[in-house]
Amino acid sequence: MIIAERKPFAEIKAAVAPFEKILIAGCGTCVAVCLVGGEKEVGLLASQLKLAFGQEGRQPKIGEITVERQCDREFIQPLSDTVADYDAVISTACGAGVQFLAELPEMKPVFPALNTTFIGVNEEAGYYTERCRACHQCYLGVTGGICPQTMCPKALLNGPCGGNIQGKCEVNPENACAWCEIYAKLEREGRLGQIEPILPLHPYGRSVTPGKVIHPAYKRRYVVHE
Amino acid sequence: MSKLKEALEGGLFPIVMEIKPPKGIDLEGMLAPVKSLNGKVTAFGIPDNEDAKMKLSSLAAARLVKEAGGEPLLLMTCRDRNRLALESDLLGAGALGIENILALSGDFVTLGDHPDAKPVYDADSVQLLQIARGLMTGHDSAGLSLTGNPQFYLGAVLIPEADPVAPQLLKVKKKLEAGVEFFITAPMFTLEKFRQFRQSVGSQTVKFMACLKVPGASEVEEASLGQHRKVYSLPPAVVQELTGTDPEEVLRKGAALTGRLLKEIREQKLADGVYVKAQGRGDLMDQILKAAGA
Repeated sequence: MIIAERKPFAEIKAAVAPFEKILIAGCGTCVAVCLVGGEKEVGLLASQLKLAFGQEGRQPKIGEITVERQCDREFIQPLSDTVADYDAVISTACGAGVQFLAELPEMKPVFPALNTTFIGVNEEAGYYTERCRACHQCYLGVTGGICPQTMCPKALLNGPCGGNIQGKCEVNPENACAWCEIYAKLEREGRLGQIEPILPLHPYGRSVTPGKVIHPAYKRRYVVHE
Repeated sequence: MSKLKEALEGGLFPIVMEIKPPKGIDLEGMLAPVKSLNGKVTAFGIPDNEDAKMKLSSLAAARLVKEAGGEPLLLMTCRDRNRLALESDLLGAGALGIENILALSGDFVTLGDHPDAKPVYDADSVQLLQIARGLMTGHDSAGLSLTGNPQFYLGAVLIPEADPVAPQLLKVKKKLEAGVEFFITAPMFTLEKFRQFRQSVGSQTVKFMACLKVPGASEVEEASLGQHRKVYSLPPAVVQELTGTDPEEVLRKGAALTGRLLKEIREQKLADGVYVKAQGRGDLMDQILKAAGA
């Protein structure tokens, strides 16, 4: 899922300070799971803003609404009407949700409440770690289910750099060296032959932004010529 | 033809001294050893933003070394350049008469002095060797033809004390497949380690240069406190030998040890040559050469 962190409160408050009617729009999917942008966190942010503005003698109208997913037009479309009563929106979605919301017709200025960080996993309650860079070329089948693009800070494709010490990464000694892990895993599984050939330069051309994927079954609908 | 290649292939036991490109454009300190030691050493190693700390371009420095009469060994990391920049700098090196290239991944940006810089690593060191080999045979990494091929003598790094060693050996094999012609080891500080290393590599056509380092006082102190975290070890006996009352004394003792090791490595044929890291200081290099009888 997408992992995000909430922005410092002062930054959020400063962004919406010029407005009197502020809607906080939550997202009920990834950011709700990682405890930064769901219904509860929307409520918390609303209370914080009311308190902070209250201390300055201001009482802006602060509304709350949380939709299933802000990255899905079906769920955010109704917000086009909701925002009629507001003059600014704070989105607690990831960057994708914020942008999709901002694209809606009749939408008011949208401000992000989060910094989107990575695609990751839920290690334990409140503890998330990165696993995927969405690099358009998955190596996991070759590298024993450990991603060299993500788990190696240098994204090396052909073995460890010279900097690992006792199997720990030179960049952050708390982390295992991805290539030491890859090697050990494949050795255990008798699959070392898979990483013996030199992997070629990564096709970064596929990662030109903004990315677009059209499911093969829908190519005719979206008039994709191959 | 590369003088370093001639010396390594000809069994002449080349000595390469590492110099330090400045943070600025004052060249005097960097070039002083080139002027004072020319003729006594085969080449000068030129780090590429060493330790991820921004310095004068190693390519420019390599040309300056050449103009000062020295033979450059250009260190080239994958950290700061994408494949276009790596290739065009390699062509630039070729055009400037710089043949000796050492391909490295490069220390990560967050360990250096520009921690918010974007790390590149478009290629890894194996792929950089392949790229350089491709240019030598007349094509770039996109398969396009060149007008005029550069000639390089290609080296890479090897970590004798790597732990675990097997993943490192996987990479060494790939570097060999990619056409590496010489390796430079990480620093080692005892003859025993060089001996073990020599035995482990056996007879190979590829050449091995042993890296000798004069550690600074802070590194020796870290080791004495058990806080030394590097890809090579500073054994307690060495730490004891190098401990001094002031930083200069530590360096002098380090230079004495380095000179002694250099002499022994050459006499016992424990490597095909040496790469010496003496803080880029000509006076220490001079002391090392005198101690080694070179």
